[in-house]
Amino acid sequence: MISLRGVSVVIPAVRRGDADRVLLRDITLDLAEPRIALVGANGSGKSTLLRLLNGLRLPTAGTVSVDGHDTVKEPRAVRSRVGFVFTDPLAQLLMSTPIEDVELSLRSRIRGQRERTRRAQELLDERGLGHLAHQSIYDLSGGERQLVALTSVLAVEPAILVADEPTTLLDLRNRRALRRTFAALDQQLIYSTHDLDVAADADRVLVLHEGRVIADAEPAAALAAYEEVLV
Amino acid sequence: MNAHSSLLGLYEPGQGWLFRFPVGLKYLLLLLVTVPPLVWGHWGVTVAALAAVLVLLGSSGIGPVRALRIGWVLWILLLVMAVYHLVSFNPAAAVVQSGTILVAVLAARMLTLTTSTPVLMDALGRALGPLRWVRIDPRQVALAVALMIRSVPYLIGSIDDARDAARARGRDRNPALLLTPVIVGAVAYAERTGEALHARGLPGDD
Repeated sequence: MISLRGVSVVIPAVRRGDADRVLLRDITLDLAEPRIALVGANGSGKSTLLRLLNGLRLPTAGTVSVDGHDTVKEPRAVRSRVGFVFTDPLAQLLMSTPIEDVELSLRSRIRGQRERTRRAQELLDERGLGHLAHQSIYDLSGGERQLVALTSVLAVEPAILVADEPTTLLDLRNRRALRRTFAALDQQLIYSTHDLDVAADADRVLVLHEGRVIADAEPAAALAAYEEVLV
Repeated sequence: MNAHSSLLGLYEPGQGWLFRFPVGLKYLLLLLVTVPPLVWGHWGVTVAALAAVLVLLGSSGIGPVRALRIGWVLWILLLVMAVYHLVSFNPAAAVVQSGTILVAVLAARMLTLTTSTPVLMDALGRALGPLRWVRIDPRQVALAVALMIRSVPYLIGSIDDARDAARARGRDRNPALLLTPVIVGAVAYAERTGEALHARGLPGDD
């Protein structure tokens, strides 16, 4: 379970006399449900909150812990438990081809090179990407890249998967494919989205507005509150 | 991002003998082809090394078209160097300098086109084993080298992108204008790479 206690994230003012920029204000949450969605307008603090969950960003005040491991004091333990999927998969893929990228994730788990290649191919096959294993990542479609990025992150077997607007760059077909993939995951999934249908897949929805959680409920109630804020 | 024209190429599994050749011997082959033209500095040695590396690649099913697909940036650089020496009435230097760089790049491609990055990383990690004596993890060094190799096509592509952006604003005649976005892009790329490693819990406990 992920716990946030009195978490704030503040960017100090660049010039004297200007006000500090507050990205998140005094957030206290326990995140235990299998599927949790974050919704909110651009700049509401969704990405900042998600990045806190695996230590990509550290809180200015308060604490964030994953299964009791503090993101500041035990970053390695947190990293190994929480995988993160970015909006833009190209920012996530580190090697030139899908199979090499998945192999990179498997490197610390499987020492033997042949076994690692075999397992990487198997993981790509499971996601229907096996035929793309040796293609350049630049020659893949956005949806294929997102699925490869997801495969690479899941290859390290995180207990929790955090995804920052994973469907934003995808067309309808790929969006549906990713939703099906997400629905089949064993991991706890915490994601942000602007797509209310995708948000409605969750067990719990948090609505962020100007760095605060203004609604925290099951999807129908939370999304109604969100639409009220937007209008 | 225009990152398709990779200086070091993209590994695709093949049936040629170089694909089956042990990676350590491929490193040795790379040195055997690259060092003589560097040491002797004679145009004949350079031409022979160039022919040798093309034959090695060709005999493994990598023809001259794929072998010489090294990106327009390097071709222009080689051409400028060769032209400079030719107008200075020094054709031998034109062959030696441009040719030796081309030999080195093609020899490196001989390695990268026939060996997957994870295999290269493992081999490098083993070769750097003595670094453990000074408490440096050779596997992490190998990872850093692999990421560096991966960044080369990206950075070359970022020059293309910056030029396209400048051209869209009708300001593509001043190369200095390309410098800032390329450097800013390189720093951002480094930061994103760090975050991407972090996102999948790497480096792990290896």
